[in-house]
Amino acid sequence: MSGPRSRLIGSPEPRRKNRELLRGEGTYVADIRLEGQLHARVVRSPAAHGRLLGVDTSEALGIPGVVAALTAADIDDIRIPIRLPFAESPEANRVLQAPLATDVVRYVGEPVAVVVADDPYAAEDAAEHVLVDIDELEPVLDLAASSESSQPLVHEHFGSNTVNRLAYRYGDAAAVFEQADVVVHRRLRVHRLAAAPMETRGLVADFDPASGVLTVWGGAKVKHFTRGLLSTVLGLEPTDVRVIEVEVGGGFGTRGEPYPEDILVALLAQRLQRPVQWIEDRWEHMVATNHAREQEHDIEMAADRDGRLLGFRVRGWCDHGAYVRTQGLLPAVLPMFHLPGPYQWQAFSMDLDAVLTNRTPVGTYRGPGMTEATFIRERMVDLVAAELQMDPVQLRRRNLIAEESMPFTFMPGPGSGAVMPIMYQGGDFPAAFDELLDAAGYDQLRDWRREARSGGRHAGVGVSAYIEFAAVGPFEDVDIVGDDQGVVIKAAVGSLGQGIETALAQIAAELLDVPLDDVAVEFHDTAELPQGFGAFASRSTVLAGNAIAAAVDEMRAKAAHLLGCAPGEVEFRGGVATGGDRGSVRLAEIGPTRGRFEKEGLTASFGGAVCSVSVDPADGRVRVHRFALAHDVGRAVNPRLLRGQLAGAAAQGIGGALFEELAFDGNGQPLSVTLADYMMPTAAELPDVEVAIIEHGSGSNPLGIKGGGEAGMVGSFGAVANGVADAVGEGAEVLSSSVSPARIWHALNDPSEPAGTGKPAQEA
Amino acid sequence: MTGSGSPHPWLGPDEAAPVALTVNGTALEVRVPPRRTLADALRDAGCTSVRLGCEHGVCGTCTILLDGSAVRSCLMLAVQGQGHHIETVESLAGGDGLGPLQQAFDDNDALQCGFCTPGFLMLIESLMRSEPGAGEERVREVVSSNLCRCTGGGPVVAAAQQALASNRDGR
Amino acid sequence: MKPAPFAYAAAGTLDEAVELLGEAGEDAKLLAGGQSLLPLLSFRLARPSHIVDIGAVEDLDSIHEDHGQLRVGALVRHATLEQADLHGPWRALKEAASLIGHLPIRVRGTLGGSLAHADPAGELGVVAAALDAEIVLRSVRGLRTVPAGAFFLAPLMTAADADEVLVEARFPAPGDGFRSVFEEFSPRAGDFAYASVAAGCRMADDGSAHDVRLALGSVGPTPLRAREAEEALSGSMLDDAAIVEGARLAAAGCDPAAGDWHAGGEYRRALVANLVERALRRLRQPA
Ligand code: FES
Ligand code: FES
Repeated sequence: MSGPRSRLIGSPEPRRKNRELLRGEGTYVADIRLEGQLHARVVRSPAAHGRLLGVDTSEALGIPGVVAALTAADIDDIRIPIRLPFAESPEANRVLQAPLATDVVRYVGEPVAVVVADDPYAAEDAAEHVLVDIDELEPVLDLAASSESSQPLVHEHFGSNTVNRLAYRYGDAAAVFEQADVVVHRRLRVHRLAAAPMETRGLVADFDPASGVLTVWGGAKVKHFTRGLLSTVLGLEPTDVRVIEVEVGGGFGTRGEPYPEDILVALLAQRLQRPVQWIEDRWEHMVATNHAREQEHDIEMAADRDGRLLGFRVRGWCDHGAYVRTQGLLPAVLPMFHLPGPYQWQAFSMDLDAVLTNRTPVGTYRGPGMTEATFIRERMVDLVAAELQMDPVQLRRRNLIAEESMPFTFMPGPGSGAVMPIMYQGGDFPAAFDELLDAAGYDQLRDWRREARSGGRHAGVGVSAYIEFAAVGPFEDVDIVGDDQGVVIKAAVGSLGQGIETALAQIAAELLDVPLDDVAVEFHDTAELPQGFGAFASRSTVLAGNAIAAAVDEMRAKAAHLLGCAPGEVEFRGGVATGGDRGSVRLAEIGPTRGRFEKEGLTASFGGAVCSVSVDPADGRVRVHRFALAHDVGRAVNPRLLRGQLAGAAAQGIGGALFEELAFDGNGQPLSVTLADYMMPTAAELPDVEVAIIEHGSGSNPLGIKGGGEAGMVGSFGAVANGVADAVGEGAEVLSSSVSPARIWHALNDPSEPAGTGKPAQEA
Repeated sequence: MTGSGSPHPWLGPDEAAPVALTVNGTALEVRVPPRRTLADALRDAGCTSVRLGCEHGVCGTCTILLDGSAVRSCLMLAVQGQGHHIETVESLAGGDGLGPLQQAFDDNDALQCGFCTPGFLMLIESLMRSEPGAGEERVREVVSSNLCRCTGGGPVVAAAQQALASNRDGR
Repeated sequence: MKPAPFAYAAAGTLDEAVELLGEAGEDAKLLAGGQSLLPLLSFRLARPSHIVDIGAVEDLDSIHEDHGQLRVGALVRHATLEQADLHGPWRALKEAASLIGHLPIRVRGTLGGSLAHADPAGELGVVAAALDAEIVLRSVRGLRTVPAGAFFLAPLMTAADADEVLVEARFPAPGDGFRSVFEEFSPRAGDFAYASVAAGCRMADDGSAHDVRLALGSVGPTPLRAREAEEALSGSMLDDAAIVEGARLAAAGCDPAAGDWHAGGEYRRALVANLVERALRRLRQPA
């Protein structure tokens, strides 16, 4: 036909919404003001572990402006369920969290009551006057020791501090270790982190007694799940619960999961028949919103003299905190899936415990499990390289799974638990690794290092390679509705500030050949949307994008039927479908069309990171000078947005390694409850991040897209830690993912101190 | 408000006092009890571009201009605003478009979720007024006042530099 | 994270301020720039019954030299100090001010507020200790001065009585050729320092250092003077050996109990040694 079709998939379109956000016009949840709106404040446990003897709200109710107060006695005995079937277990289902603590409190920050007042200041006054009587118990804090008999139990009725042990065996690890020339054995720790988006969580709920409809506004990563849960708890039909997503100030995996507060606020709105707003404050955020990453791994890795990686054995402890939350066992499942990574192991054996402790529950944070696993594995690979006196890049290069071996599966063998096989559908890992080294200018970095060292500086180069599993199913639906203005795409995935609306519009505009501006994307209101699972695991573009493709196919079929031609003859152009010489029909006339994309399993993509660092041994300060990453996205829908996502995730990862840490004292009291203590990086501490987007396609979906929203994080800890280890050389061992100045100084000067071991020094 | 020599100088904890502000050039009187922060008072008055990321003076999302200089509005009581000129992001663009600084943010992908954006815009706006010749290092130092969890702040430095440069060229 | 209730009054003059403060009783707090007080209020760590706002009090915001002595008013903003024409003996003051928090904090924060807050990490307190500043306090009872060394009692505790307003810091006239510098280590730009040092000395024509001052921040309950190191260094040529020994002595004088989970006592001591070395090397350079 005439003229080139518009090429929008792959085009660096500017992000939608920017104008509004730059003008300060975005409506975030705290900006919602409904007539008669009340404000909730949650009363939280001040103790890490204790018997809850009583919660007395009578004094609080006497404070002017206070409208209501709830304790566990006032609500049904419910538990917040696990959202993902593959992250569930019968055991995990026995240690779920109730919206309000009943007879035991298990972490500092656990909700024990909620008060409602006509003003947030008054609500906070009232919360202080709720008397909470707690008989303190000894807390469980040490991961590896948590299951020793001397330890108290986080959940007495459960009888153990290990929820489950996950086992995965591949090949004959014992045999492989026997024939190995080199075995390196270490205990590595991943420190505890918070996603800490700049906007804290929040929620507004409003119940309309006339229609019986409850409307909830807030961050809504998993809108339909939240809707289902609230309808069950409130005794409503799912269709009588509307979940509306508003502008969101960052999600990173933690926002929008159903938390205790979501249930409390909805319940209050229903009971009081007035709108109720709850805005988490930053202190609450640091104790109440999911924590992430804390793990300990005892790992040995085997290689032969020629630099062949043979196998590894790992015994790990993955902290879940005081309860298993909506993401179930993912804090242990995901590290397990990501530990083998891109190398051709002959055998391995993994035993990972999902552990309970008296700390804030743990969930997923951008690059969950994979960031931790990549640090563990890649640090070990460097230690093996040192033992072999081999260049770490060489060692990696020679052990990457070759393209000819694809698809590749580490089939779980005898002794494995009920696990999904670890499978890589395709990709050319060695070629992608070379692209990474190129993008990073690896040879120049080595020159830089040589020069810096000859000038007496402690300079290092760190490399990590990884596999990211993303884009989990089961499916996503998308509706395409043509109207006079163009087309509307309705999808149930969510926006977490990642620009999903722009990417989806590009896909639809290209497939339907309409101007980009004529495509509207709606994903805000469950009342208007088809079924869906939400925004997590870098799945939104993959799942909803392919669902758009499916819907377009469906529209093609409908148009063909209307026009009396074969579907293959239908051409879309400018809001019209033409069927050869059979005439044309406007998209609006085709009617709303639904497409579904179903997806089994996960999509694996390869990536890596390289950085150059210097360390000042006098004060322990680490500076990251250059940071480059490469990630196989299959096909970039919008390279500009993708770059922003990848670089932003890397910045978070670098900061997480350099400064951030959620620390606790020996009583389980959280120490990082302000943003002065939870030190997120600023522009002054971060290098510019170079991003190489690799597009090796993917056989597993029609559009060939893989995930990309989290990947920048995945290699960051490994690369930074390896860079620091390279810089300090024999001077110290880097065994913690945190390379804070104090840790590095201690590692160099006083390794006996706790700061060198991956545990925060406790307050004197 | 209490003037000097007033016989009853104390404002009680629950007493609301009228505070006269000028917000983006327009007189605004708010009635607030002493403990209400300026950030909350501004938000209550509809300036929701003043965002609260920490309420303890670290993140900078609540940055506004007070008499032309960048300050954190969560670190002021509303009563302290008496008689002062306040500017928020609403002052940066005429009509429904973007001002040059906002455009520089757009060009440099200096925003993702946008929550930190108004605070950064006001921070850099004050720098552009007080130090139009600021170099890269100074820009980076000032940008590091605020936190951006999405971008890390690097693109904000680039945006600020572009805005300063085009300012110097007289556009 | 909203402040608890309090009564409030804004003073127009110093007389009014001391009167109001006198009326308000033991649990009153002064509010100047608010950059230290507001976070405490928001966390409800401070719950004053009354707040007296002295932000609009006149004549407390000047910096001037008076017979060689430098007088800095309580309401002088950090940003003002940072940009002031201060060098030679007063350079440490300017350098310290530039390291307090971030620009928007310095725009509001005041010298008086910082000194009265008495955070051992507070930069200006360390300079005050090094330069033997006199802290001028005013109440309805009158005016008195307290030397910096006696002013800071413990973290967040000073010798000022509940009814006293800090009105000024006076930095006594130093000898000819006196110079000072300030150094600190903070993990990120603008963070509370893990350790800081204000150093000063008078350089004689022969290159020997006299009247050496070393004050340390964040390594004790208050700013600490490293007296032993000062003595050892005074009269020396600030040669490398003397500097290393001075740094060692200064570090040994740190309170080992100082420190928190971010940075323990040992680590802070090492930082002090570094910072003292760096500061002394700078003092040694020709002005
Ligand atoms: S909200 Fe004011 S600085 Fe964070
Ligand atoms: S754009 Fe999200 S915090 Fe800056």
